[in-house]
Amino acid sequence: MDFSIRAANVEDCKDIARMITELAEYEKMADHVKVNQRDLEQDGFSKNPFFHGIMAEVPEQHKTKEGHTKIGYALYFYSYSSWKGRAVYMEDLYVMPEFRGKGIGKALMSKVAQLGLAAGCNQLNFTVLDWNKSSLDFYLSQGCFDVTANMGYHCMRCEGEALEHLAQP
Amino acid sequence: MCFLLTPLDKVSTPLWLKKKNTLVFVSSAVVMNFKIRAATKEDCKDISRMIMELAVYVKMPDQVKISHEELQRDGFCQNPFFECLVAEIPKEHKSKEGFTVVGYVLYFYTYSTRKGSTVYLEDLYVMPEFRGNGIGTGLLSKVAEVAKKKKQCVQLQLSVFDWNTPSRDFYAAKGAQDLTDTEGWHFICFDGQNLDNLANGAPKD
Repeated sequence: MDFSIRAANVEDCKDIARMITELAEYEKMADHVKVNQRDLEQDGFSKNPFFHGIMAEVPEQHKTKEGHTKIGYALYFYSYSSWKGRAVYMEDLYVMPEFRGKGIGKALMSKVAQLGLAAGCNQLNFTVLDWNKSSLDFYLSQGCFDVTANMGYHCMRCEGEALEHLAQP
Repeated sequence: MCFLLTPLDKVSTPLWLKKKNTLVFVSSAVVMNFKIRAATKEDCKDISRMIMELAVYVKMPDQVKISHEELQRDGFCQNPFFECLVAEIPKEHKSKEGFTVVGYVLYFYTYSTRKGSTVYLEDLYVMPEFRGNGIGTGLLSKVAEVAKKKKQCVQLQLSVFDWNTPSRDFYAAKGAQDLTDTEGWHFICFDGQNLDNLANGAPKD
């Protein structure tokens, strides 16, 4: 199947918001999604964007039954390792179920890696849920390292009241 | 890459004084003034020293590949990869080697497609002889304050090794949730040859 990978633009935010919801449903966390199309437009396409996006698109003749041609995306941003230096973090990687198994996910991830290397990064980092075996197997097959499983690295978060309290001078 | 703090059991009634843009802590229990301020390029040698101290503590000093030069280049350019705050003490309290910059926090802004604007704490460190004086809490609180004001961040994230009980306890006491334990998140990394191979597979533009 023919597909193209390109940088996301502000007009893509509607489809990105749709697919963020689909991904969250797949991860059984649909109620966690607070970000909407407008937030994405503001946060991703203003002067100092929080993230960058890449879209996967198929030709009209392969569109979904709902008429979508934008069928996958990756969102990433630059981060930093105090040990290794510049890094790129992939926040989301998603391909609609009916378009999987065609190399689209791999192409999106490879593009993030390529852009990261071009920016002088030497790590690509992201997280995956431990029960998401098909994703974990895919990433492991590409040569990644599970820092949590191998080194006991745990992801932590402070939000809501805890964050308010922390931020009080 | 990880955090090193002990529980704050020495200070009973912390007193904060705000002077200009720095936070000055005056403890009633321990005679230790310190101030927290934005790092400058000149601080990178001290930051690099403390990054290495942290790496030695976790028995991974060979993993540190960058020096103060990369920190200067990447933290103080037009679009910096990170921001940094340092904790400084007066000369009369300097460490036995003569250091007055005794702690740092290195962080950057990220994004959650679930929650929005986020600040990620890459490192938080206080030299062992200066712990128990509220410096770690001061650094952490300042990041939270700055992140909320500057970027309207709705969450603060970090990572910690599961064996690092003092740090885990410190963050748990501040209300942090362990997402690996509660939701099963695993941190994944591609680097070196594997990253090159992945990038080589990218479609041509």
